[in-house]
Amino acid sequence: MKELLALYLVNAKEFLRDRTPVILVLVLPVLLAIFFGLIFGGDGGDWTLHLGVVVEDSGAAGPRFLDELRASLPGEGFVVQTGTREEMTAALQRGDVHLVLVLPADMTASLAADRPVDVAVLYDSTQGTAAAAGLSAVRDLITQANLALSGAPPRLVLVETDVQTEPRRMVELFMPGMLGIALLWLGLFGTALPLLQQRAGQVLRRLSLTPLRPVTMLASQVSWRVTVGLLQAALFVLAGYLAFRVGVQGNKLLFVGAVLLGSLVFVSLGYLLAGLARSEESMMVLVQVVNFPLMMLSGGLLPVENLPSFFQPLVVLSPLTYLTDALQQLMVGAPALHPLGLNFAVLGGWLVVLFGLGVRFWRWE
Amino acid sequence: MTRQTAVDVQDLQKRYGEVRALDGATFALASGEVFGLLGPNGAGKTTAVECILGLRRPDAGRITVLGLEHGAGSRQIKARTGAQLQTTGLYPRLSAREVVELFGRLFPRALPAGQVLELVGLEEKAGARSADLSGGQRQRLAVALALVNDPDLVFLDEPTTGLDPQARRQLWDVIRGLQAAGKTVLLTTHYMEEAEQLCDRVAIMDHGRIIALDTPAALIRRHFQETAIEFVALGEPPRQRLAALPGVRQSLFENGRPTLFSIDVPRTMAGLFDLVTEDALQFQDMTVRQATLEDVFLKLTGRRIRS
Repeated sequence: MKELLALYLVNAKEFLRDRTPVILVLVLPVLLAIFFGLIFGGDGGDWTLHLGVVVEDSGAAGPRFLDELRASLPGEGFVVQTGTREEMTAALQRGDVHLVLVLPADMTASLAADRPVDVAVLYDSTQGTAAAAGLSAVRDLITQANLALSGAPPRLVLVETDVQTEPRRMVELFMPGMLGIALLWLGLFGTALPLLQQRAGQVLRRLSLTPLRPVTMLASQVSWRVTVGLLQAALFVLAGYLAFRVGVQGNKLLFVGAVLLGSLVFVSLGYLLAGLARSEESMMVLVQVVNFPLMMLSGGLLPVENLPSFFQPLVVLSPLTYLTDALQQLMVGAPALHPLGLNFAVLGGWLVVLFGLGVRFWRWE
Repeated sequence: MTRQTAVDVQDLQKRYGEVRALDGATFALASGEVFGLLGPNGAGKTTAVECILGLRRPDAGRITVLGLEHGAGSRQIKARTGAQLQTTGLYPRLSAREVVELFGRLFPRALPAGQVLELVGLEEKAGARSADLSGGQRQRLAVALALVNDPDLVFLDEPTTGLDPQARRQLWDVIRGLQAAGKTVLLTTHYMEEAEQLCDRVAIMDHGRIIALDTPAALIRRHFQETAIEFVALGEPPRQRLAALPGVRQSLFENGRPTLFSIDVPRTMAGLFDLVTEDALQFQDMTVRQATLEDVFLKLTGRRIRS
């Protein structure tokens, strides 16, 4: 226990006295998350919503709705275009409009007959923020329109065509996404590389000449790195809350559990890589080979549903997919890709596998 | 031998592919002696030391350390031995004191950090980060780590390499202090003078086996009754004529530096001056001296220990 504590403190001192890992592992991911958050529409992104409207209704209700829509929209920030369904769909695909509202052919008749009217909304979810903001604006409009139509039971029912995610600000997904990536980096840049350097400097070899049990050494290093993972999470929650009011909406204990489990998975991965790499050069290659696909294909930066099917097997395999999903659910209540239990189970499975392989391939020198 | 054996190495074998790093090395350290292990680069010294420390497993052979064997006895062996290795980067961002304190905590019992640093003359650098220490200071820190657990058996792997003369003398005093305290010391070194000064016995290793083992004085006596005459030849020395001079028992030629081992210095000298008179030889910087351990080493291995 004395040895464990001594080594834990030494790890902490070595880490904190070196600016590089503090910046790379702790601070950079938070800055990146804030940066992405601001770029991709945190609050008050300065963009104009282009709304396409297709009036298929030959009666009076469609054009009247269009007039009211134009009148009710604030002057700035909205541009309304009209056209045929084909024209507007093409414009949507080109990115000229963010959202297309289709007023159906039977609108006037249905209203007259007191039947609900399906107003189709087409949007492109790769235009994440704009589509999301547009949708909520359209919801407001429909609500107003319903009220205007005599306050009777709603007759206009909004049918959203893209049924992926509940629209939300991108930054809300970036915060947990970047936290997951930060824990990945903790394993790659905060574990694998320093271990290799320690091996090159023969620190591990020197330690192996003391009565220290290998498991004690391992425990001290892992527990320090898990501490860094928790610090990282705290920093994310704090920065996210201060900058964007993104905190931890879900169960706090489960959130801590997810961070712990994620840290352990990626620290184990770091040990495995340190065992596999022959030199610092080969390590840099290994780290990038692991880093890039996991980072891009795990839902932290890009929604996994939009990735080509070619990548889907990697998405399913990547432990970061499950960590990101769990963190997004727990921090911002994002819709679940998988149930939380499944996420935890897959991460636990990865931990067992990586730990086993890490032990198998470990080398002192 | 009535004294206890601290380390007993029997017929050690270790191959790396085609290379036989150890090829039947056998030797023993008596408890309380300073034992020098000498040999040219690649002779197998490091591999032998690593096997004794338990860092490597020999292919064959038997190693007993302080009456224990590696495996079951490893932790006990490690608790009672201290080793200084050629380490390059020990926790660069920790201070010398912090590094010593850390290693102290890894042993069941340890000396106070201040005392250990004083032993190796680093007390003034206690607060300096190890990255900021000079090569020699780092070397002494590595020696300090070998002493932190007050071990019975100390391994010092070229401890004075890279030290300035003053620091080297200081470390010699440390080693003599260990000797006086009854510790067993295994020392590898490139400095024959150091081995001669410090070691009770030296083993000369070559091609993975021990080719000579005795006290330095006995080794010199056994291999050289002669006196060494050394000089720098200008131009190509007439090797055969030099070797045939009166009194010369053996001659060595290294980089135009002949060394003649003579049992009759006056007559050899006379012959040498005859050669000069005939214009067969020109020389400068002549030294006449007793044979040293370095000569023994050169004679036995055919190589100088430092190239």
